[in-house]
Amino acid sequence: MAQLDRATEKVLRELSTKGMHHVATGLSGMLGQEIKIVTTDIAIVPVPEVVERVGGAEEVVVGVYLIAQGDMPGHVMLVIPYSDALQLVDMLLGEPEGTTKELGSLERSALGEVGNLTASFFLNAVSAVTGFNTYPSPPAVMVDMLGAILNIILIAAAGAEPDIMLLETVFSGLERELNVFFWVVPDLIPLQAHLKGQHQNGG
Amino acid sequence: MAVNTISAGLGELVVSNKVTDVLVAYGLGSCVGVVIYDPVTKVGALLHAMLPLHRNGDANKTKFVDTGIPAMLEEAERLGAKRSRLICRMAGGAQMLTAPGFNNVFNIGDQNAKQARQVLRKEGVRLRVEETGGHAGRTVKLHIADGRVTLRSMGQEEKDL
Repeated sequence: MAQLDRATEKVLRELSTKGMHHVATGLSGMLGQEIKIVTTDIAIVPVPEVVERVGGAEEVVVGVYLIAQGDMPGHVMLVIPYSDALQLVDMLLGEPEGTTKELGSLERSALGEVGNLTASFFLNAVSAVTGFNTYPSPPAVMVDMLGAILNIILIAAAGAEPDIMLLETVFSGLERELNVFFWVVPDLIPLQAHLKGQHQNGG
Repeated sequence: MAVNTISAGLGELVVSNKVTDVLVAYGLGSCVGVVIYDPVTKVGALLHAMLPLHRNGDANKTKFVDTGIPAMLEEAERLGAKRSRLICRMAGGAQMLTAPGFNNVFNIGDQNAKQARQVLRKEGVRLRVEETGGHAGRTVKLHIADGRVTLRSMGQEEKDL
């Protein structure tokens, strides 16, 4: 992995804090109830240990994956435990708790939209702070075993590297118990090049 | 007889000759699980490889199919397995991401399975059966007691491979 120097880390921390608060506010508005940040961190994690941050590799989860393109390219992923995803759909569709029993195409599409908006809230906040123009790809929604879903982001973002850098935030509902793991994995080399360019331009 | 489950995490190899052991790789997506078993000495191994090709200078051989399979054979032979007797099975190598626009970038599962077939042929190990490809994650288990290999996908019953 490219070295995370102090200057880049400082920028990432600022982006992460501002971006994630923007996400929490945006999600609260979308869901009509308060969504809080449980934890937010920049974590450098050995690739085999990423799975256990969420749970067991065989546990069924929903993963929403997007690619960030532009000035801060990278990978964006939401991981939601299956029963929490059912709750989230109830909230999105304004249904009483326990209404959604399975994830059909409508429900998956709704969860894809959550991914799309979450990524957009984050990247818009980044753009407001830095002037970086970054936008997400359409979302890919997967429902499967956690380990299998995480293969994607681990291979796309870490490749053969032993570690991965995650801007990690866990969101939770205030009224309803549910956890959403949100990861942004910026590609460090283009990010550092961009920061350097900005610096040289006096930005 | 208490069963002892030993998990091969991402990029890990597990080898055993204890009949109470069950080797397992949970939630294989594009990763491949390669299983070998010698029915005479009851030595078995399970490799959970993530990428097809080893990168120069990387210390972790078992993360990659091309270096992981020879490492697995070596470890199993050290415990008394004989190459000519090995029963080999493979699972995984799925394409998890099927949304439009992602397809070409992420067919790593197929590359992993192809690489594994090629390395096994080169090493003189016959692949008896495989269940690879598709779009679903899989859990694979090897029972050291009798060499039985089972497979499970989300929401499905465990079945023999």
